[in-house]
Amino acid sequence: MSPLPALVLLPFLGGIAAWLADRPRAATVLRNREAPWRISLMVLVIETLLLLAATLRPSIHNGPWTDHFSVPWIPAMGIAFRLDMDGLSLSLIWLTLILSLPAVLLATRQVKTNAGAFHFLFLSTITGIIGTFLATDLFLFFFFWELMLVPMFVLISAWGHEDRQRAAIKFFLFTQGSGLLMLLSILGLVIAHYRATNVLTFDYFILAATPLSPSLSLLLMSGFFIAFAVKLPVVPVHVWLPDAHTQAPTACSVLLAGVLLKTGGYGMIRFNVMLFPEAASRFAPVAMALGVAGILYGAWLSCAQNDIKRLIAYSSISHLGFVLLGIFTGSQTGMQGAIIQMLAHGLSTGALFLIAGSIQDRLHTRDMRQIGGLWAAMPRLSGAGLFFAVASLGMPGLGNFAGEFLVLFATWHVSPPMAVLAATGLVLAAIYSLRMVNGIFLAAPLASPKPVTDFPAGQMAVLGCVMAFLLVLGLYPQPFVTFSAPSPPAVTAATGEGVSPP
Amino acid sequence: MIVHDLFLPSPLLALSAGTMVLLASIAWRRSAARSLSIGLITFLAALALTGRHVGSAPPGTVTLFIQDRWADYNGILIVLSSISILLMSWRDLARDPAHPADESALLLLTGTLGAVAMVFSANYIPFFLGLEILGISLLGLVASRRLRFPEGCEAAMKYLILSGLSSAILLFGAGLAYAVTGSLHFTLPVAAGSPGIQTAATIMILIGIFFKLSAVPFHLWLPDVMEGAPVPVAAFIAMVSKIAIFSSLVRFFGTGHLPFYMQSLMPAVIILTILGGNLQALQQTSFTRLLACSSIAHVGYLLIAVLSPGQLQSGVITIYLAAYTASTLGVFAIISAFGSPGHPDGTEIADWKGLFSTRPFLAVTLSLMLLSLAGIPPGIGFFAKFGIIATGVERQHDLLLAVLVTGSIIGLYYYLNIIRVMTGAATPLMVPPRTRQPELTVLVTVLTIIVIIGGLFPARLLRPLLPAPAMTPPYQDVMKASRSG
Repeated sequence: MSPLPALVLLPFLGGIAAWLADRPRAATVLRNREAPWRISLMVLVIETLLLLAATLRPSIHNGPWTDHFSVPWIPAMGIAFRLDMDGLSLSLIWLTLILSLPAVLLATRQVKTNAGAFHFLFLSTITGIIGTFLATDLFLFFFFWELMLVPMFVLISAWGHEDRQRAAIKFFLFTQGSGLLMLLSILGLVIAHYRATNVLTFDYFILAATPLSPSLSLLLMSGFFIAFAVKLPVVPVHVWLPDAHTQAPTACSVLLAGVLLKTGGYGMIRFNVMLFPEAASRFAPVAMALGVAGILYGAWLSCAQNDIKRLIAYSSISHLGFVLLGIFTGSQTGMQGAIIQMLAHGLSTGALFLIAGSIQDRLHTRDMRQIGGLWAAMPRLSGAGLFFAVASLGMPGLGNFAGEFLVLFATWHVSPPMAVLAATGLVLAAIYSLRMVNGIFLAAPLASPKPVTDFPAGQMAVLGCVMAFLLVLGLYPQPFVTFSAPSPPAVTAATGEGVSPP
Repeated sequence: MIVHDLFLPSPLLALSAGTMVLLASIAWRRSAARSLSIGLITFLAALALTGRHVGSAPPGTVTLFIQDRWADYNGILIVLSSISILLMSWRDLARDPAHPADESALLLLTGTLGAVAMVFSANYIPFFLGLEILGISLLGLVASRRLRFPEGCEAAMKYLILSGLSSAILLFGAGLAYAVTGSLHFTLPVAAGSPGIQTAATIMILIGIFFKLSAVPFHLWLPDVMEGAPVPVAAFIAMVSKIAIFSSLVRFFGTGHLPFYMQSLMPAVIILTILGGNLQALQQTSFTRLLACSSIAHVGYLLIAVLSPGQLQSGVITIYLAAYTASTLGVFAIISAFGSPGHPDGTEIADWKGLFSTRPFLAVTLSLMLLSLAGIPPGIGFFAKFGIIATGVERQHDLLLAVLVTGSIIGLYYYLNIIRVMTGAATPLMVPPRTRQPELTVLVTVLTIIVIIGGLFPARLLRPLLPAPAMTPPYQDVMKASRSG
């Protein structure tokens, strides 16, 4: 029995349990106001164990696709509930869990209003994300893609900060609107396949072999690209990101920056590059230029921010520009760099949002000018902040450096000017990261500091784990590079052998 | 009509009989609760008799009524909607001793009778009779809003005049069609000569249908009438009369390819309808007006599927109708459950502020229904919209698809806006007291389950139900032969 459907559904079912536990009657029986929080934590731990089992489970299939699950769903339209796992999806699911555990541990306990609903929505988002990483039926993929937006929208608009509702609607409109373009592309691909073979199917592996004319393939690819570009985000369509990240409650910022954005990168690898390899290579110059633009633009704006969360949000745009650049270099190295960068960015930025959230909880402001030096008052928090800020500026020895280095290396082979421009982004990264470190941690303390409590040891231990992951990723990335390589669709898990040459 | 030629679908018989029983009962003694119960029993009987008919038509003759799966399906949808609407209005009608309310139950019954007659009709005469029975019943229903009587009367007058105008145009078109073909068969007039009159007849009939269907540019009456009407009646206008007229539209054109002048006319109407409906909805502060505008837009989406014959069309239209009916009924049921006498009745969007904290059940179900209308999973509307896009892609209607995407994004904004209002902070003054209303709770729960189950497992709903492409030349020959013989 494959653990994949359980992996997808468990957080959702656990979320329902958490919600029910928060009902007034249940709360008196349990005599525990924190029941939803405990249940969510438990669900995530079980999910992690399940994932561990799935990772260690000996692959029954030959080839890169390690696991497979499929039941028919809407047979009349050739839609199946089909999940497949390869190294790329597995490592991204690991990232999801590694980030959501600290997010729940550190940031959702203080949610007091409607805690049950909060945890239900949080866990539903995780279900949507994991489903997106596993689905290999295009309809199912789109279903999960849309499904993760709804709970995130409610989370931002109900539990976010001061300007939350505008940010939530902006987030939803951008992602959903671009999602409709992807739906058009999916249907275009399916119908093209139907015209060619008279078989109506949404199966990723079968559709990968569809014969397409160059212009049609470019058109279909651009539909997918726009949807993923909004999510990643790529520069002209990034407008939703700074608002959504800034206004979201802490745990959701972590999930947004750490994992939700990665679904965009994942989609580009899995669908743009793998389904339409030729169109992707023709489109590459445009995509790479957009990537460089994102790196520079995000970094430049980041230097001008005073709101900590906004600063981190803009820095995300810059870092994810590297991902876009790496994916479209067309080389193995670039792809590996992009994946490492996705993992490392998820860890470092997720942790930075956690720290920013903790500062906001303690000082009730996100404005760097009003925070002043925290090092004396909160040495542990400040130390962790320094570590992740340095990681995000690309310090050698940490994960981000490995990713960015591989991407720049691959870009140099394709276009040296682009590599030079992209490397300039690293300089800007140093400026904004150090400006943040200076402003928050190292500056002179304010005249009238508020009494604050530092991170307790337990929370430091959690952050310590994240630091350890980043260090390993930076010092010895080779196992991750081989492990997380995406598998080509020409080899399916169902049979372990090639379906047909693409 | 000679008795052995009689062919009558049983639901019609049940509804007519129920109407007479109800009239007799009112004449004996007035009682709102009894009238409503008789109405409910009649609807259930009509539902149970779906698929049966009285008498049989000799093959090759022209009958007044037709019974196929398309008619049965729409009949079921209409009767189910009427049952829900009856339940929605039950509380206000039965618990208000000041106003005798038997007429509402009666008009609901006759309105449903008219709608079902339209669905089953294969001839201009029963179609037009059904249309008028429905229209006249609606006139009374719209004016029956007790708390805001002047507004209800205004809406009813508006409806009377515009509905009369469109009926007249439609009737003129039907007359022209008869003049050309010599047949009252309810289908595209096709004859050997005089293409001008044929086109004029088709366009006039079409204008009449578009008026009733409130496609842009014939839509201006709908928001006003729905706003003036009581909430359950607004639901009746949005569901029952639209399903009836839409099913007639499909029967009129058949499912094949349209004549060439329609190929250019229909896209224009669709584009106007989608954009007009959605853009108008953006400016609304009244919930019922917003739903009226959104229903205009949904008609536009549905017409895309009508315009795209192909393998997917039939199943998609079926599921879209079901999705639209279930979700919109859900929204109206929740509005009815929200309002209570003497308090905001939920027809203004501002009334809904902070509902997530004051009445979470209603807020969560309403969000689900609205998301389903917007086409977001897990609601059934997601699959329905997916299907519409699939038919559009299949026929390569690029422009219509672009309009659909634009319209959906605009639509998303105003649906989300309501959810946004509900997540806001509640003002304590506006919290309405909870009243016991088990029938509405059950209705909302059932509709929620339908919307979710239908969204997760839509395979069972994907059935080819549309009538076969109607006018094939051999069939016409048979008709002519039967007329002359």
